[in-house]
Amino acid sequence: MYLIRGIIIFHFVCICFAAETTKSISVRTGNQLAVLEFEGWSISEPLTQHLTEEFRETVRDLKMYQVQDRGITNQFNIFKPRKKDYWSCWSEECAIDLGRRLNVNYVIAGNIQKKGDDEFLIKGRLFSVDMETMLNEFALNSSGITDSLLLEMKKMAYNVSGLVAPDTLSVGTDLSQVAASDDIKRKRQWIQLPPIPSKIKALMMSTALPGSGQIWAERKYPGYGFMGAEATLGLAALIAYYQYDKAWGGFQENYTKYQSETDPHEIMELRPQIIQYAADTKTYNAFMKNIRSVGLSIWVVNMVHAYLVAPNDDFFDGEYFFDLEYKPDVNQVQLNVNF
Amino acid sequence: MSIFKQMKFAFGILTILSLLNLSCEDAVYDLDNPNDPENMDLDPPALFFHPSEINTKVDSSFSVQLYGLKLNPAAAAHLDVRYDWRGVQVDSVVADTFFQSLNDPFQIVIDDRQGTVDIFIYLLPDTLIDQNEGGTWSLATVYFTATSTRGSELLFGENTRMRDANNDPVGVRSFGSGFINVE
Repeated sequence: MYLIRGIIIFHFVCICFAAETTKSISVRTGNQLAVLEFEGWSISEPLTQHLTEEFRETVRDLKMYQVQDRGITNQFNIFKPRKKDYWSCWSEECAIDLGRRLNVNYVIAGNIQKKGDDEFLIKGRLFSVDMETMLNEFALNSSGITDSLLLEMKKMAYNVSGLVAPDTLSVGTDLSQVAASDDIKRKRQWIQLPPIPSKIKALMMSTALPGSGQIWAERKYPGYGFMGAEATLGLAALIAYYQYDKAWGGFQENYTKYQSETDPHEIMELRPQIIQYAADTKTYNAFMKNIRSVGLSIWVVNMVHAYLVAPNDDFFDGEYFFDLEYKPDVNQVQLNVNF
Repeated sequence: MSIFKQMKFAFGILTILSLLNLSCEDAVYDLDNPNDPENMDLDPPALFFHPSEINTKVDSSFSVQLYGLKLNPAAAAHLDVRYDWRGVQVDSVVADTFFQSLNDPFQIVIDDRQGTVDIFIYLLPDTLIDQNEGGTWSLATVYFTATSTRGSELLFGENTRMRDANNDPVGVRSFGSGFINVE
């Protein structure tokens, strides 16, 4: 009996000590969180930084974690100089090691990948430094523009914080909270014009700057080709114009002297120079005219090409400011413009 | 605006301006200077008077250059100049650049008879040259005084000839003429 009592008391004491031990661990486990810079795949570095910072701010606002400041977190570059990709910190070992160096309890590492024209995949991992394990892994799909990406980052921040993302966050009515850039706010004050179809936009871009429409339409090689061709022609034209201008200056100077000169010797000296300079101006002028013809031809081809390769929107549906449709009753294709 | 966007914008402007500025005017000219020997219907090598027409007044002095057009290298010349002694008289003759060399002065002999002036010019050889390089240069300048309103025509006589350093004839295909109008 005494033995049984002794065992029960021993277990009780052990449980009490265990509870005490757990308590001491929970005291040590704080809520310091470091958000490592997200890695961007096929998206620009400033955008990645902006999205990471937005994510960081959202998590901080939710007050579930004490989010470490961006400047301190980025000090890990000093600890471990490496390239700007954090894939090497996708593993537990790396993240936990960094978390210890940064003196935080949790670490979030992630990446943003561009999967298609307008589709993005956001991945993130939450590591516990104290428990030396990965607590959670997140993956979100986003399609659309930067605003949509920001929304997804906010959703991820809610997920990381263990909260449910509010409905108002996803309906897109509260975009002003998401738009951190002043430019976006400024755009909202402007008159909202009807959307421009992608083909027309590409056409306009390539009209203004050859090749830019193709580049915008993700046809980079043809785009750079057109841009390079026009640049080469432009450079050749500039060189030809410089030569022409030089010859024209020489022609004018010598011809003026010739007209006022009375000494036959000087006149005989000037005569061949005038003829040579005049021939040079004609040569360079003809060269420039040829360049103009070729350049304009390439320009037109570039415009048509940009129109053809641009994504085909369904812009003949009446929502846009013009509508092209076939009227079988009059057997005509009609263009309607809406204001 | 990022640097890349600025570069794109500048490149676009440059390209457009380049293509717009591609057309310039062609050089149009007319080599019609009356003092141009090419407009004097001379067949070079030639000798001519410059200026070919002089308007002056009685008792006024004026000068006429005896010019060579695309002459071959020469070392001496005999210029037989004919004029109307009743309208003008020769004051002096000065040699010009055609026979100048390092050895300056050269020799010039003037034999002025009525209506004819014979000018003998020699290039004095130096260590480098014994004849000139030819070309279009003035051989000599003749100073006249108009004595009456009769005026005078200026011609090269049949004794006009040129020689090179080997005393071989230097061909002159055509001779120009001049005219002096006296008011």
